[in-house]
Amino acid sequence: MRNFTSLLFAGGLGFFLLVLAADLPVGAAPMVAGEGILGQGPEAVGAANLVTAVVLAYRGIDTLGELSILFAAAAGVGLILSGMRRRADQRPDPEGGFILLAAADLLFPLLVIVGLYIVLHGHLTPGGGFQGGVILAAAFFLPLLGRPGDSLNHAVVNWVEGLAGGAFVLIGLWALAVKGDFLAPMLGKGALGSLFSAGTLPLLYIAVGLKVGAEIAGLMSTLQETEAAEP
Amino acid sequence: MNFVVLAVALPLLAGFLTPALGRSSRALAQWLGWGTLAVCIGVLWVAWARLDGGTVAIAIGGFRPPLGIVFYLDAVALLFGLAVPLMALLLWPREGTPQQFALTLVLTASATGLALSGDIFNLYVFYELTAAASFGLIAGRGTGAAQGAALRYLLLSAAGSVLLLAGITIVYLRTGTLNLAHLATLAPERLQDPVGLAAFALMLIGLGVKGELFPVNGWVPEVYGSVSGRLAGLLAGLVSKLAVLVVVRILVLIFPQPEAAQLMLVLGMLGIVAGELAAWRARDLRRQFAFSSIGQLGIVFVAFSVPGEAGIVAGLAVALHHLLVKPALFLLAERWGGSIEGLRGAGRGHWLASGLFILFALSLVGLPPLPGFWAKLLTVMGLMGLGTGLAWLGALTVMAATVVEAAYLFRTLSVLLAREAGYTSPGPHRGLDLVTASLAGLVLVGSVFALHPLGDGLKAMAAQAADVQGYIRTVLGDRAVARRGQREDRISEAHPASRGSDRPMGRADRAYGWPAGSPTRGARS
Repeated sequence: MRNFTSLLFAGGLGFFLLVLAADLPVGAAPMVAGEGILGQGPEAVGAANLVTAVVLAYRGIDTLGELSILFAAAAGVGLILSGMRRRADQRPDPEGGFILLAAADLLFPLLVIVGLYIVLHGHLTPGGGFQGGVILAAAFFLPLLGRPGDSLNHAVVNWVEGLAGGAFVLIGLWALAVKGDFLAPMLGKGALGSLFSAGTLPLLYIAVGLKVGAEIAGLMSTLQETEAAEP
Repeated sequence: MNFVVLAVALPLLAGFLTPALGRSSRALAQWLGWGTLAVCIGVLWVAWARLDGGTVAIAIGGFRPPLGIVFYLDAVALLFGLAVPLMALLLWPREGTPQQFALTLVLTASATGLALSGDIFNLYVFYELTAAASFGLIAGRGTGAAQGAALRYLLLSAAGSVLLLAGITIVYLRTGTLNLAHLATLAPERLQDPVGLAAFALMLIGLGVKGELFPVNGWVPEVYGSVSGRLAGLLAGLVSKLAVLVVVRILVLIFPQPEAAQLMLVLGMLGIVAGELAAWRARDLRRQFAFSSIGQLGIVFVAFSVPGEAGIVAGLAVALHHLLVKPALFLLAERWGGSIEGLRGAGRGHWLASGLFILFALSLVGLPPLPGFWAKLLTVMGLMGLGTGLAWLGALTVMAATVVEAAYLFRTLSVLLAREAGYTSPGPHRGLDLVTASLAGLVLVGSVFALHPLGDGLKAMAAQAADVQGYIRTVLGDRAVARRGQREDRISEAHPASRGSDRPMGRADRAYGWPAGSPTRGARS
């Protein structure tokens, strides 16, 4: 009975949303703010990837908020799982086979390079700190899949995420001190499309990349250590 | 005034660094948190003093308002903004781990952002951040009950966020903008129809999860029943009010149609009935407070549903009163947890705690001359002034709720002060909790002697918050106001009860156009 009511409710809600969607210009929203940003974005910010201009310049404080959401989620998981860590007498999962171990070693440098590339070119090409950060996290977590006995140094992870997050805020505060606006782009725009362009935006993306990478890697490592603690 | 951003940026900075610092020194992390909160209080206090009753919009990153994100400062925003670090400091998780300090700091930043932000998607981000920080804090106590409650809260909260996002999506698809002031200029033309109303309903339900609105408050009793009194006070007292504040901003600025306010009135009434009846049946003190908080938030929603200044005055009064009283009650319940019947005679011998409990209970019920009475009176008067059948029903609900509240709070009091012994105390109240609760009591009693200045202050604040034209002028400049005026002339025939549109225009003293890099300074009312 309860399942049936839930199903009915979910169906009703879905129908309601579909009816609403049928009445909306989905995919063709009126370009009011969008038009303005398209018009002045490349000139005002200097990022060839206009999405990055929106993410880090026009709506930079949203991105700071999203970084903090990830931080809060990781801290929450850490808090919940801190009481469930593996005890010394418990044996971790057995080591992975040859293929996994060799692939982890081989992929590690490649993933680090790709991740850094995507982070560093966030203002030029699709991608950026969030995407590159996840790839960096994968690079550091992959070896742990092969050798479950190892674990990341959580103190280092905490410091990297703390300092990277701090750097993002500090770059914003620097702009507040110099230009009078929190998170205003600084350092000149450079030539559109070159690596050293768009002012502080690449620096912000490096901070985002490091923070996201450290957070996700730390989170996965914590989860793995806890998983091993289950009987 | 751009420095006000510090009130959001600094707690985040400190929060990011706290887990790492806490590894070497827990005390250092704690002092960093306290220091940061103190600085935030200072920042907002200076802003309050400099604003001096005016309104200012801060363009973050220096991008002019419809394109970039703005923070909007008026008396209401700064008052609630100031309450955030203050309450976070008073209800700081002293026995917690560095992670809990970090999450409290993040919660402070996001709640301050909810009070200040003038961009609907930025509000969504801060709302999500509030949720993410509270999950960890709730589950962090480590007991199974707390984790179960956190999971339930997580699921409901996620569902609410999806609905809120759906509502924002509809608004964006209709208007192409996210700035609240810009939306206010476009809304009369593009959101005055059933689809617009559906968008409001979705946003109301989504924000209602944290505002303890009727159908989406199932998490409340479990969460408040299983977390520490300090955290329950922080969530019930502060976070719920900020969610309501966002709803009110959206209602006043974007959805002037009377149906939107009526929807809020009906859900608020249902919340009052459900909350107060459940509180009456509750057998556990903390759960009783949790249900009573649902009822009180119902009154807040009902009060804010009255259009215009009268509603905002009443809503602010009820909200601020609850913000003061409920955390103090949760602090007192910290030592008196568990079944109410088991507390027979617990209040005897602890006269300070019992006295405070009596004071807060009486004010919550609404005994004159305590502030709770005036708050409820304003609500009932506002509803009766409307004269519609639904509003009368709302007024009757509030009055009936008062009777039920009196019944269960006096029953609890009589148990606490019963003569027969047999109660084994888990120890006296912690000194700091008592000091905090006494502080709230002093403010409550003090406000009895300052009713007139307080009333005038609330009225001025409400006038400012209800002034849609002023909001638009502050954020976008004078041209935008003229544009909205033309649109509203066409629409006012269809909706004569349009909120705020008939308000006289204030005097714009300095308007710096829109140059990038300078805040637009607006009307002083």
